[in-house]
Amino acid sequence: MNAIEVEHLRRVYRAQIGVFNRSIKEVVAVDDISFEVQQGELFGLLGPNGAGKTTTVKMLTTLLIPSLGFSRVAGFDVVKQANEVRKRIGFIFGGERGLYWRLSGDDNLRYFASLYGVEPEVSKKRIPYLMEMVGLKGRGNERVGGYSRGMKQRLHVARTLLHDPDILFLDEPTIGLDPVGAREFRNVILDLQAQKKTILLTTHYMFEADALSDRIAIINKGLVIALDTPSGLKKHVSDLSVVEVETFGASEAVIEKLRALPFVDALSVEDREQKQMLLIQTERGAEAVPDVMAALDGQRVGRVIVREPTLEDAYIRLVEGAS
Amino acid sequence: MNYGNLFKYWRTVLVVAEMSIRTELNDGFVLFAIVFQPMIIAILALFMLREKGADFAMFVVVGSGLTGLWSSLLFVSGNSINTERWTGTLESLVGMPTPFDVIVFGKNLANVFQSLLSMVVSYLLAAFFFGYSLSLTQPLLFFVTLLLSMFAFICFGLTIAPVFVMYRSIQQWQNAMEFPVYILCGFLFPIAMLPGWSTPISYLLPPYWAAIALHGTSTAMMPFGQIAFAWGMMLIFSLVDLVIASQLFKIMLYKARVDATLDVD
Repeated sequence: MNAIEVEHLRRVYRAQIGVFNRSIKEVVAVDDISFEVQQGELFGLLGPNGAGKTTTVKMLTTLLIPSLGFSRVAGFDVVKQANEVRKRIGFIFGGERGLYWRLSGDDNLRYFASLYGVEPEVSKKRIPYLMEMVGLKGRGNERVGGYSRGMKQRLHVARTLLHDPDILFLDEPTIGLDPVGAREFRNVILDLQAQKKTILLTTHYMFEADALSDRIAIINKGLVIALDTPSGLKKHVSDLSVVEVETFGASEAVIEKLRALPFVDALSVEDREQKQMLLIQTERGAEAVPDVMAALDGQRVGRVIVREPTLEDAYIRLVEGAS
Repeated sequence: MNYGNLFKYWRTVLVVAEMSIRTELNDGFVLFAIVFQPMIIAILALFMLREKGADFAMFVVVGSGLTGLWSSLLFVSGNSINTERWTGTLESLVGMPTPFDVIVFGKNLANVFQSLLSMVVSYLLAAFFFGYSLSLTQPLLFFVTLLLSMFAFICFGLTIAPVFVMYRSIQQWQNAMEFPVYILCGFLFPIAMLPGWSTPISYLLPPYWAAIALHGTSTAMMPFGQIAFAWGMMLIFSLVDLVIASQLFKIMLYKARVDATLDVD
């Protein structure tokens, strides 16, 4: 049985604009999305900012009504049987919000346990267990306002596990965490995966999606543009190599000139303080380097590396191709 | 609200109330609404009526307490929904299996309970600062009335809360809702002083019946028949408010999920 079923889901936001001449502006956040998640699967949802990931998660967690389409979570309709869905899911939206900062960590959990309908005798045992599981043992009496960002994120995980749900929605749970915190968080997700929880994870971090997900859907502009296992997605770029070129102050015109080269399949730029890393996908591999250097004539260039493509490269090719 | 939910979720209601009190008593605005504003009203009224004697002082104590009750319900409960929206907890609460009106009932219980502090503060002011010797004329009936009044206020507050869920900008209207209720419900002076056309409006407001019964059992020997009638009106209005609130919550929560107003994004 599928834990999550999504059929042609669409969500349009309407915003009123203007003071005197009022008009309604419509923004299509999710255009037409369909996918299924099997029980016990860790399903990744990847996409650029504004692709519709969070909107999709909010519809599946009953917090938004879809404009069109149909979705079932744990076998229940997310609109007509919202309360049945709520009993069986847990959700985290990335960031520090969503907790009571003036209450202690333990009180936050006691409060949410009560709202989840957990019996007091059960929550008395479960709260210390969860605090230990997320690495907050001994910190439960402190006010949440004094917690670090990572501690708050971990408290969110404890909160969402209070009623032992079968299905978890984790929307960018590692956003803003330092590398150590993010790694610890990924270990918590792996623990949950080992417990056979169904997890829908949205993230910007490709290595995270690659390491954790059984399958990944890439969405762009509210549409699913690819859905496969991480290794299946990488096959989209198996014919390519990636030339990484470190530049210092390359202008937009130079980048466009590179992008227009006939052998360049896709090009993305990562800004790293004063330098830029140009990631050029090409079928020609190392043979493309002289032409790339010629196009960069007059620019200050640092390291140049030719490597095998990763999931991130597959993602870039798919998103750029769809755009 | 489904009446059965009050019994089914009584433990949750108490936990919500406890956590609300813990959160709000650290908030300067809450202290202003339940202590300082009623204190200012009490001082002004006690000065104006200082020739009238202890009965009037008791009237002011109860009346300023009622202003604290209403202000707390209107501002603290209303603001708490908007605060929850800004802090990102409103979505978490709506996404819980516990019905949202049960959660708001718990919050209103906390606000009404802590706003009784305003009555205590006014009493202490009248007794120690103005030197009145104050006593309740019918103490037992007064405390029964106080409990029923708390319930009536909580239920009345439930009919307002859904609007706060739906509309982010409702705070602009809160001030306009504060004083009309003080005046129309006779918190600080009898409604007989108002024009006749406003009396039916007063009768439709549950806080009016609370004010009548609380004033009647604290400063006068109100006949039991009249007290019982006020109790009955409070109970009827409370039950009607619960039904209205239940429908409003259903409509407003659905609309909030359609219009995406549960969060500030």
